[in-house]
Amino acid sequence: MVQSLATQQLATQQLAMMSSSDERIADDQVKRLGQPRQRSDVPFFLAMGGLSSCFILLIVLMLAADVMFTSFADFRTALGKPEIQAAFKLTVMSCTIAAIASLLVAVPLGYLLSRYRFPGRWIVDTLVDIPIVLPPLVLGLSLLILFHLPIFGWELERWLRDDVGFGVTYQWPAVILAQFSVSCAFAVRTMRVTFDQIDPRAEDVARTLGCTRGQAFLIIAVPQAARGMVAAVTVAWARALGEFGPILVFAGATRMRTEVLSTTVFLELSVGELNSAVAVSLIMVMIAAIVLLVLRLLGAGPAT
Amino acid sequence: MIELRDITIRAGKFSLENISLEIPSGQYSVLMGQTGRGKTTLLESICGLRKIASGRILIHGVDVTNWSPSDREVGYVPQDLALFPTLSVREHLAFALRLRKQSAIQIKHRVDELAALLGISHLLDRGVTHLSGGESQRVALGRALSFRPAVLLLDEPLTALDEATRHEMHSLLRQVQKASQVTMLHVTHNSAEAEALADRRFVLEDGKIHWQAG
Amino acid sequence: MNRTLIALAGSVVLLVGLLLVLVGDSSRGSNTGHKSTTGTANSLVLFCAASNRAVMESIRVDYEQEFGTSIQIQYGPSQTLLSSIEVSGTGDLYLPADESFIEIGIEKLLIAEVLPLATMRAVVAVPRGNPKKIKVFDDLLRSDVRLVQASPDMAAIGKVVKKSLQASGKWEQLAKATVAFRINVNDVANDLVIGAADAGLVYDAVLSSYKDLEAVELDELSTVISNVSLGIVASSKQPRAALHFARYVAARDRGLLHYEKHGFVVKKGDVWKETPELTIFAGSMLRPAIDATIKAFEEREGIRVSRVYNGCGILVAQMKTGQHPDAYFACDKEFMKQVPDLFPESVDVSQNELVILVQKGNPKKISSLKDLGREGLRVGIGHEKQCPTSWLTQNTFREGGVLKEIMANVSVQTPSGERLVNQMQTGSLDAAVAYLSNAAGAGDFLDAIQIQGLECSIAIQPLAIAVDSPNAHSATRLFQRLCSPESQANFEAEGFRWQIDRKFKDGSIVGDSAIGDSAIGDDEQ
Repeated sequence: MVQSLATQQLATQQLAMMSSSDERIADDQVKRLGQPRQRSDVPFFLAMGGLSSCFILLIVLMLAADVMFTSFADFRTALGKPEIQAAFKLTVMSCTIAAIASLLVAVPLGYLLSRYRFPGRWIVDTLVDIPIVLPPLVLGLSLLILFHLPIFGWELERWLRDDVGFGVTYQWPAVILAQFSVSCAFAVRTMRVTFDQIDPRAEDVARTLGCTRGQAFLIIAVPQAARGMVAAVTVAWARALGEFGPILVFAGATRMRTEVLSTTVFLELSVGELNSAVAVSLIMVMIAAIVLLVLRLLGAGPAT
Repeated sequence: MIELRDITIRAGKFSLENISLEIPSGQYSVLMGQTGRGKTTLLESICGLRKIASGRILIHGVDVTNWSPSDREVGYVPQDLALFPTLSVREHLAFALRLRKQSAIQIKHRVDELAALLGISHLLDRGVTHLSGGESQRVALGRALSFRPAVLLLDEPLTALDEATRHEMHSLLRQVQKASQVTMLHVTHNSAEAEALADRRFVLEDGKIHWQAG
Repeated sequence: MNRTLIALAGSVVLLVGLLLVLVGDSSRGSNTGHKSTTGTANSLVLFCAASNRAVMESIRVDYEQEFGTSIQIQYGPSQTLLSSIEVSGTGDLYLPADESFIEIGIEKLLIAEVLPLATMRAVVAVPRGNPKKIKVFDDLLRSDVRLVQASPDMAAIGKVVKKSLQASGKWEQLAKATVAFRINVNDVANDLVIGAADAGLVYDAVLSSYKDLEAVELDELSTVISNVSLGIVASSKQPRAALHFARYVAARDRGLLHYEKHGFVVKKGDVWKETPELTIFAGSMLRPAIDATIKAFEEREGIRVSRVYNGCGILVAQMKTGQHPDAYFACDKEFMKQVPDLFPESVDVSQNELVILVQKGNPKKISSLKDLGREGLRVGIGHEKQCPTSWLTQNTFREGGVLKEIMANVSVQTPSGERLVNQMQTGSLDAAVAYLSNAAGAGDFLDAIQIQGLECSIAIQPLAIAVDSPNAHSATRLFQRLCSPESQANFEAEGFRWQIDRKFKDGSIVGDSAIGDSAIGDDEQ
């Protein structure tokens, strides 16, 4: 405000010093300067806000509908059932395991894909994306077939069960494997983008200073990728939580054994226990919200 | 002395063929040439970050053609400096020394020495993300010099600086080179700079090296 | 060295920790089933349609309490479960939403035995109180009624409804009036609960778990019936244990009680027995053909089958004096006809014919019955009263008008056809009249000459199940076993001719009245 006044004063001064032929031009300039802007930014915010809020409104309304459909009593009953408690426990544990395992695989794999141009790289790239585009049931079926395919009389599942001592199909490792297959793909994507955005030069310089490739990776690249890793774990965890198809086909839905919350919803729905199904769904929403919040806080913490 | 014997480098569609070059020890050499003609590529080959298709590279008479960058004892300051965003200035200076497992006292000694030489003692505990252009340059320089390399490669180090800082850096660089007797190869496209700094000048033109007297 | 790496290391520790917890949990749990080692405490795996969850869980609790064998139940959509069985080759039992999946399973050779449990009828489901007042078929076509159905392409009920209504010409109208086709009956029911539809076609059994819905029965749907059946997986490694559990589920005083409680209309099941005992009366000529099959059945099912082989005359006499076997395999239809109150319906399984047995090479040049009356021939036949063949033989001679002549030559009447063969072998007879099956295996020293043109020389063996047997279902499975292609091979090897040429459905013969059902006396049709 003060500045425009000063400018005005300056303009007037200059005016006085100019010849009459310039007076008209100067007049225009002052006129334009003196008037405040007519165009406001409000329409911009309205439009952007309007579009975004439609989506947010949809989510809020869906959740509200769910809440209204069920009652607190249903919630209580659902939480009280031992099967659902077991499913809850298994869900949290398996999602966490799958997410961490995904991260541990995604960091090196994402790094490799980002930094190195090796022959067949495009194949690996495509393969990593396959679990994302495969329909979930197909993924589950493929896992099932893999473990039971007889190769000259040798079967993976049978070998694991008899020789190694623990079977996979229809047991809890199958749940984790099914979740891992998909969540890892998402995690790799995230980590690859993360490493793409980190300047490789820093690692180069580190190497000239005496680092091996491995040291450069661990000391220079990984710390810079911290936020990316949090994002990767988040997306992996979320994906694992929502996984249903492959788990149903590969791990089955046995109460107290391989039942996770997503399959619980399916089972409850299949016997017409709609209230129970919605109650469990809301439990899942709550878990997801809590975990996402925690991860977000973690990610915002060490701001680099 | 850095010796490039008949080397060929292929970088995508671009290649440098049959380059031979001798950079004298302990002297300040400047390499000039238009941007995008391969000067950075040449530097990368010398410090080992880029594989050469044929030929030999010798540093102080030792054939390092197949050596990894970590073994060549070459200090490198790239054009964009490439500082480590997660480390403090002190950690930058100490980086190469910790890799070489020097004792804490030795490291402290060297770090203080370097910081004094480069005028960044007051920045030692700062992070590197908010330093000014000149300050960042000095940190990068210090990092590259910390382990007393035989060779120091600078890729257009002063291009992004303002006039006043550039002059400061000129004198600093000369000072540093004289003090450490390191074989310096400084890449620039600015002839005034070359004039000010070089003991020996080289020009990369049309894929060939010409050298001129300092 | 830096925070990120520490965080990563921490997460690895967390990972390992969680894994250990899970491993600890699973080994601590009472399930030892996933180790396929020896031991009778191996668990059984049941692939069960989600719709049967409630009733199966209650049955499982009782069974595990009574017997200790744990039942691991995999729930899922029926078709997905079947595919899992196909791909993984694991599993012991399969209980789909309805029997159409069992049929697919049988076709694919995935399912062996089938035990019928309950019947389901198609009804119209409406919200409680029937707000739209739907009473007759045409009410479904009203414009203010939103009708949903399970898709005829994907759900069994849809297929059956369509077939049934197409026959009565009402399908087109109904299809047009249908607002949406859902994937299965549960989706239809859920739509009604939520209020997205006013009426839907479902199975009556489904409604037992939906307290907010009620059923409206329509005449047009009265023929739409489906069974809930439990199948044994053909590749099961524990068939006897699986059958033990299956029999438990299908027993009228065990599993079926649960089904009734959950609103199903149950079949009349067997009475529960740990080791059921069946009795089968069979003509002695059938012994070589069926004994192996029955033994295999015993082995697989864990059921004891008492076999009484004897002359049919004797068997009939025993039955008339009060013995009631569960099954009767007669030498000829004539004998079956004599016990109609016990065995009103039977199935013709095999055919045997009387032949003239002669020494190899036919030295006496016998070509027909008449030749047997020739001077000096020593002829052997079965004893009229004792031997199954004799009655038929006498009839045949009578028909052929050569009774007197041949009887004159008869030097021996033996109690069984085997004796005749022995005598032929020792050379004490020139010719004998016996069943072709008696001569099986004697081809080295005997030739058989057909008796031409006399119908009554052919005996047809019928098999029947007792109507009021407390083990009717087990008996039916034995019946099915005896009528299977493997059994056929045994019969034909013994010289019988096979009579059954129709395919089997689970317990019933396509085309005829359901033998299994009618023999057991179902009452709800």
